[in-house]
Amino acid sequence: MRSCVRIAPMIGSRPGELPAEDARALAAHLETCAACRALAARFEATDGLVAEALLARANARDFAPFVDQVMARVGHRSPRAAARTDRRSLLDALRERWRIAVPALAAAVVLAAVGTFMYGGEHVVAEPEQRLASLEVELSGEGSIVLQTSDGPVVLLAPDDDTGS
Amino acid sequence: MRRRIAFACVCLVGIVSAPALARAEVPVHIRIIKGSKNGPAKMDDSLLVLKKQLSPLAYVQWTQETDEKRTMSKGKIEFFKLPNGDDVSLQLRDEQPDKVTFEVVLLARKTHNKLTVERGQRIVHQVSGEKDGSAFFLTVIVWPDAR
Repeated sequence: MRSCVRIAPMIGSRPGELPAEDARALAAHLETCAACRALAARFEATDGLVAEALLARANARDFAPFVDQVMARVGHRSPRAAARTDRRSLLDALRERWRIAVPALAAAVVLAAVGTFMYGGEHVVAEPEQRLASLEVELSGEGSIVLQTSDGPVVLLAPDDDTGS
Repeated sequence: MRRRIAFACVCLVGIVSAPALARAEVPVHIRIIKGSKNGPAKMDDSLLVLKKQLSPLAYVQWTQETDEKRTMSKGKIEFFKLPNGDDVSLQLRDEQPDKVTFEVVLLARKTHNKLTVERGQRIVHQVSGEKDGSAFFLTVIVWPDAR
């Protein structure tokens, strides 16, 4: 009986779980004790049932909301929740910091306009070297045509009649 | 005492008038060039500085006939003989710190043209009618150091 009390906790242990000396003692006791042998047989028969049942119960449950809640607590969100939260947080941030946001937005618009005017308007504003110089012309005599270029004027004579010069 | 005063006045007049006298002498760079509509498009290397003014014209071949540097004073007339035998006169009519006025006269065509340009600008003036697809031009620029 005292042996059964000492051996009983060892019954149901998995292979390799017990030290060698205890494993030999367990084997030797099971050979002589029918009650402990029956107990070992019941353990063997029910081995894994609890784990399988627990696993089945776990699979039957939807853990997605649980996961979302846990991730929300640690700062990670699902994409759908993140999008909703981002929009709300941006609007909330703007509402809270409108005194800073409005001038910043206005300054950004002004800078963009100035930059566009200065660097995007070069197709409209002529380069200094392409500016036509001031020119005063007094033409008399036979007709002349004046072309003005950035380097200076070009004066052309009216076409001759048949005589030429 | 009077002599000293007179001498001082003369010096003063000389000092005041010296800049004016210096401005009256104006160095100019004058060329006679020929433009032709015939032949392949070509331009003498010495005329490349005129490309911006000559490229809009119908002439495709440009050659330099004469190249002179003269000093002109206000009112002075310079005469140039063209290869076709015609004469063209150039007169400095006015000279200011930032602009100058030239008058180009073509006697054969009874043409008097007066042009006032800014400092560094060049005048390109046709000085002959077109014959066989070619014509002569006179170019004049003041302060030749610019170009």
